[in-house]
Amino acid sequence: MRVPTRQVYWNIPGHEWMYALFVVLLAVLAWGIWQRASLWRLGRPARRLDQPGRRLAEMNRQVILQARLLRDALSGPMHLLLSWGFVVLFLGTVVVFLKADLGLPVMQGPFYLYFQSLTLDLFGALALIATAVAAWRRYLERLPRLSRTVQDWVILALFALILLTGFVLEGLRIEVTRDPWGLWSPVGYLFGRLFASFLSVGAMRLLHRGLWWFHLVIAFAFLGLIPFSKMFHILLAPLNVYMRSLEPKGELPPMDVEAAAEAGEHLGAAELTDFSWKQLFDLDACTECGRCEAVCPAHAVGKALDPKYVVLNLREHLHAEGPSLLALAARARSAAENGPAEGEGEAVSHLVGPVIDPEALWACTTCRACMEACPVFIEHVPTIVQMRRYQVMELADYPATMQEALTSLEERGHPFRGSTASRLDWAEGLEVPLLSRLGGAEGLDYVLWVGCSAAFDERNQRIARALATLLQRAGVRFAILGDEERCTGDPARRMGNEFLFQMTARENVDLLRRYGVRRILTLCPHCYNTFRNEYPRFGGEYEVVHHSQLLRELLASGRLRVTRPSLLETTYHDPCYLGRYNDEYEAPRAVLGAVAGGGLREMERNRNHAFCCGAGGGRMWAEEAPSQRVNRERARQALATGARRVGTACPFCMTMLEDGIKSETGGDGSVEVRDLAEIVEEATRPAS
Amino acid sequence: MPERADFLHGGLRMRLVVGLKYILDPEIPPRDFRIDEEARRPVQGRASLVISPFDENALELALQMKDRDPATQVVALSAGPASSEEALRKALSLRVDEAVRVETDPLGEPDGEQTALLLARAVQRLGGDILLVGRQAGDWDRGQTGPIAAEILGWPCVTAVSRIEAADGRLRLRHEGPDGLEVVEATPPLVLTVTNDEANQLRIPKARDILATRSKQVGRLSLDDLGLSPEAVPPRSEVTRLYVPVEEHQCEWIEGDDAEAKARALADRLMALKVL
Repeated sequence: MRVPTRQVYWNIPGHEWMYALFVVLLAVLAWGIWQRASLWRLGRPARRLDQPGRRLAEMNRQVILQARLLRDALSGPMHLLLSWGFVVLFLGTVVVFLKADLGLPVMQGPFYLYFQSLTLDLFGALALIATAVAAWRRYLERLPRLSRTVQDWVILALFALILLTGFVLEGLRIEVTRDPWGLWSPVGYLFGRLFASFLSVGAMRLLHRGLWWFHLVIAFAFLGLIPFSKMFHILLAPLNVYMRSLEPKGELPPMDVEAAAEAGEHLGAAELTDFSWKQLFDLDACTECGRCEAVCPAHAVGKALDPKYVVLNLREHLHAEGPSLLALAARARSAAENGPAEGEGEAVSHLVGPVIDPEALWACTTCRACMEACPVFIEHVPTIVQMRRYQVMELADYPATMQEALTSLEERGHPFRGSTASRLDWAEGLEVPLLSRLGGAEGLDYVLWVGCSAAFDERNQRIARALATLLQRAGVRFAILGDEERCTGDPARRMGNEFLFQMTARENVDLLRRYGVRRILTLCPHCYNTFRNEYPRFGGEYEVVHHSQLLRELLASGRLRVTRPSLLETTYHDPCYLGRYNDEYEAPRAVLGAVAGGGLREMERNRNHAFCCGAGGGRMWAEEAPSQRVNRERARQALATGARRVGTACPFCMTMLEDGIKSETGGDGSVEVRDLAEIVEEATRPAS
Repeated sequence: MPERADFLHGGLRMRLVVGLKYILDPEIPPRDFRIDEEARRPVQGRASLVISPFDENALELALQMKDRDPATQVVALSAGPASSEEALRKALSLRVDEAVRVETDPLGEPDGEQTALLLARAVQRLGGDILLVGRQAGDWDRGQTGPIAAEILGWPCVTAVSRIEAADGRLRLRHEGPDGLEVVEATPPLVLTVTNDEANQLRIPKARDILATRSKQVGRLSLDDLGLSPEAVPPRSEVTRLYVPVEEHQCEWIEGDDAEAKARALADRLMALKVL
């Protein structure tokens, strides 16, 4: 019996010309990649290659298994099939190369039948289906997150043409050569039968020869386009996932403000060269899939911010300005080597203004939904904040109401300018011990860090009261700092005033050290995040607990007993800085489950997909156009559940949601907004 | 800039001196505000100190003039204890050219008249074409310093100025008078007291400039430097009593079967109280 195989280059005299084209392709690829890669050198140093094991594991999850992509029930499988289809077909081509060019006897026998024929055919067919789905999503369903530019249709057309011509070629060969193993390539076989039904053998031979060259040229054209199109992500996406940040999600990249000022560097990002090479790499890795845009709360309510275009505009700027910046850098280097650099009058090619709309820059709530959605792990928020840093620290050019908040933070220790409350108003009549009276944190279970919002916002004082009452009820030993408490600096950091943040952080760390504070309880996810993820770098290492976590524990251990289960149906709003930044999704739900007899109704966007309330990133203190309020959109989503109560675990979310619910219901009181502490306090009140 | 020549007078660059008073934060919540009735002065407690708000407006106006003409010099001047150097540091971070404190320790806490004398002497000593101060300080609200300083210097004084423009060799000042806005023209030397306006909210310092102030010095002038001795300064006006007024509210319900009866009862009651 003959060994199953097929003849390579059947019917293709002069196929050697392919090698000439291949050399051209390699040259184009090399040149294209060099063009892009050389621009990354404009960036500053960044350490992104440590811990290879951890990096490989995540790369495996995101590139091989495509975990994030699969969150989209249609586009995810589409991409999985398309990418794996092409990978398998590429492997098939490698097998051909091994046989034809290296003479290895690999393309024969069962391997030829099972892999080279059947598997390739199946993957090719799946890729073809995936291409159809992709085209449908983009051009018929017209998904808003997808763009419809020339490159978009060219690439889809190339996919379809490469796959279709491949099948037709295979079918024609099977027909003309009467391939005895033709049925092992079922899709190609069917194409062959189809063409045989109306073409003579001679015509099929001719068609085969022409089509073979066409297939070759478009396949090479596609490969050659990679570095010049969004398809560059085939190479860069896996690398970008590998080089993702391994720092805590809740920590913005730190900077040494004083050293930078001394060295004459920009504070923050004024121009491209202020970014790290990884931030520039991010730009080229973008696939333009628009998942960030689709989840962005600012974009959803019609603000100027579109995270996808933050990336794409910066990329366009990089490609346009990069080469001249490189030349400039080279000249500066040689000037530095050859003597005193004058360096004067060097024009700064500003990002904010010409490239990034300032309104977009300030619209970001730093909610991290974009970063959580990005399948290639682009880091939008740090890049946005870095541009804010320059606007704030070097230009002092940012929204006036945000300026007032930061001035108040600096002068009065809290960002709530004009508040008539004092730090201790909320505790009136509760006999909450002060650390200054106790002299230290010894013997305490926790120091309760109240936070400015719960201290100075009249509504939110009720949250602090409820929590303190619960702690007393459960016999938790705690104290507060009272007048000595200041803002953690979170709003300053997110608005870009890194200088003020660091001053504040150092002062707070000193204060807590003087009292020997080790365990901190917060009711504000922003304070929680800052203590947990950002203070360690300033020498402040604490065990930080959010009140949702402590309440879960107190309820589970029976130290708090439910006396009157709450019967209102409740929906829970995930605060970004508790959920997406710190992965705490379950404690609040467990608390609600323990006290809410009415059941929990999830909003469509929950957990890591939750929609921000609109207050983060300093937006709490920004002016909002009435038609562009993120909180009203979130309130609508909450109302859509039909729940009579919205539960949350963040005083900022409270302010935003209560306001949103009031606006959306006309203030009829039909739906209430409550913090977990308030809900639990009511449900565990001792029967009197 | 075409205005530039107009700003020059007598062939000298304009030199603006801005008086800054460092005071107890006037935005402190009322319940945190405490006074020491014995000493007849407010207690700082944990409240912060800030630049008096109208003085901030004065500083902003001066900085705006410097923006328009970089040859303009701005001198920040404060008469007060060592703590007021914080206010001067903030002024330095906003890029004033000089910051000088008049040491007032021998005088205790100077009042408006004393401060006016100190500022006027300091202006004579430091040189200056315009002295700008807030229309009144955010703590005692007396509003005397500017006009008295003008008297001592023998300069004209325009009060409650919110904007300054240069035109036709003169300064055009927007003065907020009792009957509305007036535009006044004047030429230096001048004393201006400044009131607030949306266009003169003090800018915020840039981090880079704050860092740069660390290496800058605040100048100091003693009474001696000003040719004064504690005895030569007029005595401080004396506060005879300081107290937080207690507001009392009394509430009375007007009874009546219907609206007319209630109205009648209300009118009777008001007449009895001699309100009507």
